[in-house]
Amino acid sequence: MAKGEYLGEFEHLVLLAVLRIGDGAYGAVIRQEIEAATGRSPAIGAVHATLERLERKGFVSSWIGEPTAERGGKAKRHFKVLAAGVAALKEARKTLERLHAGLSLRNATA
Amino acid sequence: MTPPVIAQALLAAAAPAGDYDSVAGDLHEEYLHRVPIQGVGAANRWYWAQALASIPPLLSYSRTQRSIWNGLAVGAMVVVSPVVLLLATEAINDTIRVTCGGGHCAAWTYFSADWTDAAVFGALLAFCIRAGGVRLVLVSAVLLVTAIVIPTLLGFSSRLPLTEWLLLFGAVPAMCAGASTYQIIHRRSEN
Repeated sequence: MAKGEYLGEFEHLVLLAVLRIGDGAYGAVIRQEIEAATGRSPAIGAVHATLERLERKGFVSSWIGEPTAERGGKAKRHFKVLAAGVAALKEARKTLERLHAGLSLRNATA
Repeated sequence: MTPPVIAQALLAAAAPAGDYDSVAGDLHEEYLHRVPIQGVGAANRWYWAQALASIPPLLSYSRTQRSIWNGLAVGAMVVVSPVVLLLATEAINDTIRVTCGGGHCAAWTYFSADWTDAAVFGALLAFCIRAGGVRLVLVSAVLLVTAIVIPTLLGFSSRLPLTEWLLLFGAVPAMCAGASTYQIIHRRSEN
C-alpha cells in the first residue's frame, strides 16, 4: 500500500462515520456521529478538511445538494464512500487485527 | 435566530470559497437545534468554539490544484509583497508630509494610509494561503521575519509611542477586512 493510501486516525473515524450513516451523509451528521461514538467534539472545519483529503485520495465522493431554510439558505455537501475507501478500511482493520493477534492487554503497563 | 455574526465572518474568511456554504450551513443547522435545548447563550458559545477551532483546518486546505511553480510563486509573493507595501506606505506618508507643507498633518491621514496597506496585505495573505497552503505561507513568513523584520526591529527603540500602538491595533482588523473582502470576491467569482 502506498503512503498516501494509509488512513490517519481521524480519517479512519470520518470514513467509518460516513459508511455508518450511508445515504445522506453530510458534515453536521458526520460530526455528530463521531461525537456520539467517541465522546470527542470535533470541529466542523476539521471534519470538512478531512473529507476533502479523503476525496483527493479517492476514498469518498461528494456532491452539492439544494439550499434549505434550516441551514440559513446554504447548501449541503453530501458524501459517499467509494470502493477504494472500503478497501482502505478493510486493510486498516486487518493491520490492527495482525498487531493485536496474540497480544494480551490485561497485564500490560506503560 | 442567527448565529454570532463575527464568528460567521471569521469562518467566511477561513473557509475555501467552494466550501463555505457547506461548512457554515452545517454549523447553522446544529446551532438552530441547540438553541431550544441549551439556550441562546450556550448555543452562541458552542458556535464560537466551533468557528475558532475550525479556522486552522479550514486554512490548511484548498480545492484547487497546487504545483511546485505555484508554491514558489506564492512563497516569493509572501516575502516580497510586505516589503513592497512597506515601501509604498512610506512613499504615501512622504507625499502626505509634503502635501501638508512639512508641518503636522492630522493623525488619521497616516492611519488611513497604513490601514489601507494592512487591508491590502490581509487580502494578499488570504490569496496566498488559499493558493499555496498555510504551511507554505508560514514557512515564507518565518523566512521574512528572520531575514527582514527582526534586523529592522533591532534598530528601533524598545518603547513604541501611543500612535504606533494605535497603528498596530488598527492594522489587525484592517487585515481581517482585507482578507474577508478577498474571500467574498473570490466566492462570487466562483459562483
